[in-house]
Amino acid sequence: MDIGAPETEREIEVAPLEEPVPVPAPAEQPAEEPIPA
Amino acid sequence: MNELHTEPIVAWRLWHVRRHEDEYRLESFTWHHVSWPAQRRFEAWCSTHGGAAPVQGHECGIYAFRTRQLAEDLLRRYTGVRQHYGRGYHELPPLRQGCPLALGRVSLWGRIVARENGFRAQYAYPYELFLIGGDDGLARDLRRLYAVDVSPS
Repeated sequence: MDIGAPETEREIEVAPLEEPVPVPAPAEQPAEEPIPA
Repeated sequence: MNELHTEPIVAWRLWHVRRHEDEYRLESFTWHHVSWPAQRRFEAWCSTHGGAAPVQGHECGIYAFRTRQLAEDLLRRYTGVRQHYGRGYHELPPLRQGCPLALGRVSLWGRIVARENGFRAQYAYPYELFLIGGDDGLARDLRRLYAVDVSPS
């Protein structure tokens, strides 16, 4: 990939407060059916 | 002193979408058979500098462009279409049958080397994907695997 000329390089440090990697949603637990007394 | 950011840089890039065993994965556009992991960050690795990639003055790191237009220009070069194609830049060249690609935004963080057209980064994860040459089922599979938005084209 042509991202430009190497002589224009500058360094950046990116330290995100939270990593931008999605965490899968927890599996939903089936709700217990109320059993009539 | 380096610039310091607390928000990831969001840039543009291309991926191949190839089958790995029983599922499709994003794969590097320029390095064959380097697949991007799902739901964990992709880390740059260099045969010379190891985990110190990206290193200034070298070519290592995870690449991305500053703009969608630059990523689409690479796609046009890849497909051999030199002239401006279609209406505006949303319309892209046709692909070989059965060789889907993804164009999309990618989050970059860690050490990043910036040039005028893009970046080389230490860590990356897809942010949003536009599938080119794939169907709704493939978009759904990638959405489930990488847990990001995937729009079929």
